[in-house]
Amino acid sequence: MRKITVPIGPQHPLLKEPLSMKLEISGERVLGGTLRLGYVHRGIEKLAQQRTYVQNVHLIERICGICSHVHTTTYCSAVEAILGIEIPPRAQYIRALMCELERIHSHLLWLGILAKHVGLDTIFMHAWHDRELVLDIMESISGGRVSHAANEIGGVRFDLDEENETLIRTNISKLHDQVSGVLDVIENEPALQARTRGVAPISTDLIRQYCMVGPIARASGLDVDLRRDDPWPPYDRLDFNVITHPDGDAWARTIVRAEETRESLHLCEAILRDLPGGDVTVRAPRKVPAGEAVTRSEAPRGEVFYYLRSDGSDQPARLKIRTPTLPALSLLPEQLSAINVADIPVVLAGIDLCIACADR
Amino acid sequence: MEKFKKRFSLLSAIIQAWFDKPETVGYPFLPLVLPEGFRGAIVIDPDKCTGCGLCVRDCPAGGLRLEKKSRDEFKLMHHPASCAYCGQCERSCLRGAISHSNALVAATTDARELVVVLKEKQG
Amino acid sequence: MIEGLFFLLFFPGLAFQVVCGLAFEWLDRKLLARFQRRVGPPWYQPLADLIKLFSKEDLLPKGANHLIAALLPLVSFSAVLTAGLYIPVAGFTPFSFEGDLIVILFLMSVPTLAYYLAGIVSLGVYSVLGGGRSLLQFFSYEVPLLIALSGPAILGQSWSVAGIMEAQTVQGPFVIFQPLGFILAIVGLIGKLKRDPLDIPSAKSEVVGGSLTEITGTKLGLWHLLMKVQAVVGIFLVINLYLGWLKYLPAHLSILVFVIECLIMVVILSVTSAVFARLRIDQLAGLGWKILVPLALLQIGFVILMGV
Repeated sequence: MRKITVPIGPQHPLLKEPLSMKLEISGERVLGGTLRLGYVHRGIEKLAQQRTYVQNVHLIERICGICSHVHTTTYCSAVEAILGIEIPPRAQYIRALMCELERIHSHLLWLGILAKHVGLDTIFMHAWHDRELVLDIMESISGGRVSHAANEIGGVRFDLDEENETLIRTNISKLHDQVSGVLDVIENEPALQARTRGVAPISTDLIRQYCMVGPIARASGLDVDLRRDDPWPPYDRLDFNVITHPDGDAWARTIVRAEETRESLHLCEAILRDLPGGDVTVRAPRKVPAGEAVTRSEAPRGEVFYYLRSDGSDQPARLKIRTPTLPALSLLPEQLSAINVADIPVVLAGIDLCIACADR
Repeated sequence: MEKFKKRFSLLSAIIQAWFDKPETVGYPFLPLVLPEGFRGAIVIDPDKCTGCGLCVRDCPAGGLRLEKKSRDEFKLMHHPASCAYCGQCERSCLRGAISHSNALVAATTDARELVVVLKEKQG
Repeated sequence: MIEGLFFLLFFPGLAFQVVCGLAFEWLDRKLLARFQRRVGPPWYQPLADLIKLFSKEDLLPKGANHLIAALLPLVSFSAVLTAGLYIPVAGFTPFSFEGDLIVILFLMSVPTLAYYLAGIVSLGVYSVLGGGRSLLQFFSYEVPLLIALSGPAILGQSWSVAGIMEAQTVQGPFVIFQPLGFILAIVGLIGKLKRDPLDIPSAKSEVVGGSLTEITGTKLGLWHLLMKVQAVVGIFLVINLYLGWLKYLPAHLSILVFVIECLIMVVILSVTSAVFARLRIDQLAGLGWKILVPLALLQIGFVILMGV
């Protein structure tokens, strides 16, 4: 059969963010493809060197629209590590709460996108409706749906009052019902299983070779989770399960993310239950003494890595960010070979790409 | 029976959704309800502002501008289109003069709305 | 002559089919929206979409054949409208002859072939992919659909829709004797209309817009319009073949029953598109040939035994 080259991206209904792929297709079979990146490169690492530490919090927040909070958390803890200050326990808990809310919101968003790509628009709408509950919490406690501006160097900006806590509790209990409803559906929907089972499996070896992290690694049976392996407080005091699945295909990734959503809901409840009292912020100086720090956090998509070097001024000398999407992107050409055309959306959705994170 | 029920859970979900009220907000025909702490338009309390410029220094987006000749003669301006609505000015201000209201700032076609003079003091 | 023109242009021809098509589409979109917790479009939205498309610029890629690209939707539109003329509406049959069922089924296949050709002549990669998919899908659903639809014809001992309806007034609606055939006919109809979950040829996340990716403006409007009318014709056909027992009811009552049956069909189609995921093309072929065809043959065997 004649080979044709099909461009997917930079603009394509399949992609929410720009990414360019050129796929060789013969009939309904994808033979292989090439990848081009860099469409949302904004030079954030360089920009960060030209701004003060305070301004950078807001710059870092805009790396990604979905996992914005975990980026600022990691950045702020890097700065705090060099400054040698410890933030109050209440602030730690609130940071963790926001991280977990963000994970729920990211996974529900992802589930909707997967469902949309396989033609289940109803689950897409229902999952995004449930996601609104999380966004409502975030908006009412921090003032922004996506850019929460929750962190500052030395703590968090807002405190939770009674009203906030009631809202979070009611919405979380609603979400428990909704999420188990959605889980029931995806676990029992034969067409969804037919579309995702056995699609683009990744072996544990390949995961190790490409340094994959997060839900993709866990779906291939690799038991990694920074929240447990290298916890910052309060995760070392919280009890939760790390979800893994042995299969490594798109279906396993679905189940892992769905179960993680449920686990995060439990974590949110635990955080609210254990929330200590006290201040939420300590004073941090504007100038940071010379030094360097490495901090890592478990973002919804895996490990986020920050390296920060300071030179004693009020601007960072170097800020290096490594996001979880990068290894996933390097595996993408391999995953996009020897599959059906109809599997392209499932493969792409299964990886849960965040191009804005990877390009910066 | 339980399995049967689970098999048709999506069907029961859509039937449930049929009887529920639609969740979509009829914006812009209906009012938009924003929470109290929403970071919207920048407002200032002119009595408290001394024109110190701390907010301008910390603004990450370059959304604030201060033209200052002396302590008694300055002009503080806000550019809503450049503003990132991050709330840093509110945190930086020592006197609590500048803050966010929860009014949504809409896009505009009127060039005059691109600069808002927050405080103008003439000597 | 004037009566003939009235039939052609107003009822049951062009105007009636188009109005029904718009109404069904609105109902379908509204139902789907409510299933998904949305508000849904206002009643004039399908019409407004159509007017928008008709007023847009008509573009084709360089080197594409403009004449054929313009003829394809026109030919398929006329084929669908002609098919609509032979289908009784609420028992009203202006043109009917022995064998019109075969003519209708043949005319209903024209848009699918034209859809494939539209993909080929408009010279886009996605169009070619979508066109190829539409043919593959055609081969998967058409055979079980035809076998299933021959069930009522055998039971009614007539190859005209009106004849089959007449037989049902004596024997009762055929859906009672052929529930399997009814389900298969609906599945086939969904495939024919390229509706979710069988929207494989035009799956947005896989092949962008399918065959019609490069088609714009009036031509695209015409394509959308003819698919709406095709839905009307298909729904009427299935109702007449399986639920067409209202020939001897009083006129106003038969119209009421017919409208209710149409609404039920639209609800069935909406619910199916809301609860099922899109299949892969190889899965659809497997479903068509391994499951639907044997089921259809089973139904036919049952019907023949009943006839004996």
